[in-house]
Amino acid sequence: MSIHPPQGRRLLAVMRQEIRLMLAERGPWVVGALFLLLVAYALGNGLMQTAKRDRAQAAVAQADRDTRAGQRVQLEAILAGTAQPTPFENPADPSRMASGYGGQHALLPTAPLGPVALGQSDLFPSQYKVTNQSRVVFMNPSDIENPWHLLSGHFDLAFVIVYLLPLLIFALSYNLLSAERENGTLRLLLSQPLRLRTLLAGKLTVRAAVLLGPAVLLPVAVLWIARHAGFAGASSAMGSATLWWALLVGAYALFWFALVVAVNAFGASSATNAMVLVIAWVMLVLVAPVLLNLAVTRAAPAPSRTELATQQRVVTAEAMKRYQDLLGTEYQHVGHGAILMPRNGKIEIAGRALANYKIEREVDEAIRPALDRFDAQQARQQQLLGRFGAVSPAAVAYEGMTALAGNGVRRHARFEAQTVAYHEAWKAFFFPRIDARDAFTPAEFDRIPAFAWQEEPAGLMRGQAALAVLQLLVPSLLLFGLAALRLRRFSVA
Amino acid sequence: MLRAIGLTKQYGTHTALDRLDLDIRGGDIYCLLGANGAGKTTTINLFLNFIAPTGGTVEINGVDVTRHPVATKQDVAYIPEQVTLYGTLSGLENLRFFAGLALGHELPRSRLLELMTEVGLDHAAADKRVSAYSKGMRQKVWIAVAIAKAAKALLLDEPTSGLDPHAAAEFSDLLRRAADTGVAVLTTTHDLFHAQQTATRVGIMKRGRLVESLDGEAQIANTDLQSLYLQHMRA
Amino acid sequence: MKASMLLNWIARREFLERLRDGRLYWAGGLVVMLLFTALAVGWAHQQGAHAEQVAAQAMDYRDWLHQDKRHPHDAAHQGMHAFKPEPPLSMVDSGINPFIGSTVWLQAHRQSEVKFNAAQDATGLQRFGNLSVGWILQVLGPLLVIVLGFNAFAGEREQGILRQTLSLGVSPLRLLAGKALALAASLAVLLVPAAIVAAIAVAAGAEQGGRIDALLRLAAWALGYAVYLGIFVFLVLGVSAMSATSRTAITVLLALWIGQAVMAPRVLSELSRTWFPSPTRLEFNQQLGAELKAVSDKVWQENFGTTERWGRDVPLSKWGIALRLDDQASYPVYDRHYGRLWDTWEQQQTVQEWSGLVLPILAIRSFSMGMAGTDFSHHRRFTTAAELHRRNIQDLMSKDLVVHADPLGDRHFSYQATPDLWATVPPFDYHSPGAGWALRHQARSLAVLCAGLLLAVAFAAFATVRQRAL
Repeated sequence: MSIHPPQGRRLLAVMRQEIRLMLAERGPWVVGALFLLLVAYALGNGLMQTAKRDRAQAAVAQADRDTRAGQRVQLEAILAGTAQPTPFENPADPSRMASGYGGQHALLPTAPLGPVALGQSDLFPSQYKVTNQSRVVFMNPSDIENPWHLLSGHFDLAFVIVYLLPLLIFALSYNLLSAERENGTLRLLLSQPLRLRTLLAGKLTVRAAVLLGPAVLLPVAVLWIARHAGFAGASSAMGSATLWWALLVGAYALFWFALVVAVNAFGASSATNAMVLVIAWVMLVLVAPVLLNLAVTRAAPAPSRTELATQQRVVTAEAMKRYQDLLGTEYQHVGHGAILMPRNGKIEIAGRALANYKIEREVDEAIRPALDRFDAQQARQQQLLGRFGAVSPAAVAYEGMTALAGNGVRRHARFEAQTVAYHEAWKAFFFPRIDARDAFTPAEFDRIPAFAWQEEPAGLMRGQAALAVLQLLVPSLLLFGLAALRLRRFSVA
Repeated sequence: MLRAIGLTKQYGTHTALDRLDLDIRGGDIYCLLGANGAGKTTTINLFLNFIAPTGGTVEINGVDVTRHPVATKQDVAYIPEQVTLYGTLSGLENLRFFAGLALGHELPRSRLLELMTEVGLDHAAADKRVSAYSKGMRQKVWIAVAIAKAAKALLLDEPTSGLDPHAAAEFSDLLRRAADTGVAVLTTTHDLFHAQQTATRVGIMKRGRLVESLDGEAQIANTDLQSLYLQHMRA
Repeated sequence: MKASMLLNWIARREFLERLRDGRLYWAGGLVVMLLFTALAVGWAHQQGAHAEQVAAQAMDYRDWLHQDKRHPHDAAHQGMHAFKPEPPLSMVDSGINPFIGSTVWLQAHRQSEVKFNAAQDATGLQRFGNLSVGWILQVLGPLLVIVLGFNAFAGEREQGILRQTLSLGVSPLRLLAGKALALAASLAVLLVPAAIVAAIAVAAGAEQGGRIDALLRLAAWALGYAVYLGIFVFLVLGVSAMSATSRTAITVLLALWIGQAVMAPRVLSELSRTWFPSPTRLEFNQQLGAELKAVSDKVWQENFGTTERWGRDVPLSKWGIALRLDDQASYPVYDRHYGRLWDTWEQQQTVQEWSGLVLPILAIRSFSMGMAGTDFSHHRRFTTAAELHRRNIQDLMSKDLVVHADPLGDRHFSYQATPDLWATVPPFDYHSPGAGWALRHQARSLAVLCAGLLLAVAFAAFATVRQRAL
């Protein structure tokens, strides 16, 4: 007799048996098929919406390019004397090019994993038209989406995994041990040199494979195909992001499996197990994230938007008062079209245009502290969420998935920061030219700053994903530990 | 082979087993008699580590069961009163699985069919779903597992309850054959006839204590087991 | 025994049993705790938002009146703000308000959209839901009914009690009525106190003149939820009657609940968008811009013989008229485009309300928001009123320019209006519509809910009569 009967082949025997049992029953087929259907629908939905967004963005970029090209042609014609400039659409006039007439878009492209978790992509706009106006004006974050849909949420893969995967895990394994005990086969099993943990491991592995296969492999395959068929964006970071996403999904599923094992370890009936698990799901997936959001937004409340609106008005009013006289100057171009032509590299800028330029400049400066407060508050919220989010694995998994898909708050904050930087570059380019009344030449024209999106560093994405995985693994380990303790006293009889 | 030394099991204030001493050697067929709740099944459960003792020790082949619960399972085969198998699978598939768990490696189909024949199940029945089996047939599959295991000890809990006389006799033959090969057998039963016919040693339990012991087939044959049993029960 | 007495007997025993087995305490207790938390949070938010809005609106108008002498067009450019009032019932159902802004900037030349919604200032977890009384009742309410009633028939069948009861000659329908009454009573015990507290909170939170209206709204709102939970009372009892075991009953009911509360809203949302697609921002801007330009060109061509707006050929003495003509030509264009967009949104919502026949949560969601005053029809009414006010401001300014600036010849911008002009603009005085208006707009969802209730009762009756005693 060996003191430690080898468990390796016994584990394989258990796994083979579980597969045979699951194939013979109807339940696992239904669960597997259902899950496949949900994943397929969710993925299809995500791909469709992302494709739509990408098309819209491509159209914006194209429109910008076409406009700029047209303006350049116009400029050359004006300088050659073959065209007459109009007062408010004059490409030679830096004050016009700096404003809405010449403004260009800052665009946030979708990340390669975008279709997987649509996240905040419908709530936050992914384009801003940058002009010399204060950023409080053009960074008005409103995309037109029916608010009912914003309220309802997406049916994307993240939803299926965060909300529905746990239920499917329950359906397959709520009676992991309790069924064997209630049937009477547990005594037969444990009267052999089989460790209880070997039995559990065998059962868990098979079920995990059944569910994680569709959850991880199918989306990866579909995304890969979509990328090669040209439907989805590609990037060098895709491989890494996909790997981390697989790990995140695995860690999330592991948590729920750990919960199932822990509940089974207490030795209650199958019916009790099922009830406890459903209640846990309701608390952890439905209620906890809602309470968490509430807690975080109360602990780090946003400054008042109403106050911001008021402040903006006050600041604008003051600036307008300061440039009252300039605002009162008349336009000189009526009847004197020639005044709009550039002369010796200089161009006359109308008094009112100058006034508006100066007003916007002042408003932008004055409103900056208020806007910085909003950014600081958001950063604080994210910090709090990072620290306390582990209270709800559903929240951790959801935030982790949207971050990997590039549709989370963090990436959008980066986009906003880069837009602001672009705005600064825009102002730095145009303001001296407006002050000096320099007319545009084609060469100068080509130097107008363009927005170039700098993707998040891969290291940052990896670090955040790793943190999320860790936040899911720790409670799993605790639950497994609890299970191990209870299983020691597990009564078979 | 099977030893209990001062074995005690208490559930709160209720004493299920009170300082039981047993020493069953290879070749013994020990029948434990007693009423419901006397502690027979508790004894079996303690040998199998299905429950933990409150006091005393229980050993299989000289190894403490509580210290090496999994290892000691190699030397003992357990046959419960009610054998439930995996109904959606066939008798052969159940045998293959459990024998594989018992031995740690798979047996070839030829050997499995051999075992089935040995317990009296024909090949046609072997491939049918267990949900169609009778209680006797399910027990036979389990006996096949026990035979495959070739363990040094056998633990049986009320093996003949619900079996017709022919099947019960078959069972007794099986036990005798096993004892002849040196296996230690511990069986609990209500069936005094079966005990008288088969046992080499008898113990009567009442309220967790061993109140009577008979050793040797001769002694058992010469005792009116029924009167003795009822005498203890009424006292 | 008289029929009603028998009914009460059955109901009373059932109720007592539920009380004793503890389900009412822990399940109900949990829900009630969440309800009070949500109410407290909602109260704090609504009070804060309301106070802020009132103060901001007053300050805004005061600043408008206290403008110095300046060109009317500049005043129109600075504009005014319109703040959407936070209705008192938003403390029980915040509806779409977190996802849609409450501040409109009324400025010259363009129809402004609402700015800044609260959801953007919240974390990504906002998408899990907003903790409000309405959300809890919509999502967790049915689960509570399921937990309390899933084994009403199935459990008794398993225990053999049902067989005994029916053998006494009790009509199955009376049994159903008694059980329904007991289930409803269990819910009432939990929810009525919360409703009373909510009523007090709403009455306290409403303004002086709006108290009656707020309470009327709350009454209708509560009625809607009574119907909604009633649907589930009968659905649960029907499924329990149909199921062989309690286990089957609860599995079926849980699957139905998850399907309707968690999955269906999202699926229907996507479907309604496929059915009635709405444009992207770019498409909308492009189409709007194109039509505005076409209309404006036509107006300019007809009146000034050139499409070059504010160009070299239009004298400054005509700029007042030009402004007025341009603006007024644009109004119908805006109305058409925004109207079409908003109508599409409302069509999408109609799809979901109709599907409420099978998925009651969609009907009650709409009804709840509508009665609370936090749905899109209320918002549309507000933005329409704000836009009218903006046009009013603009027209008053243009009129003044035509009268004072145009006659100046070639000195348009040096004209500065006096504060008397500012005073001619009335304050933006918007009042939310009354309960009757809201009810009229929510007639469809209420009808769907009632139809659903009838269907549920019919189903339960059918299942109860046809059920097996064993």
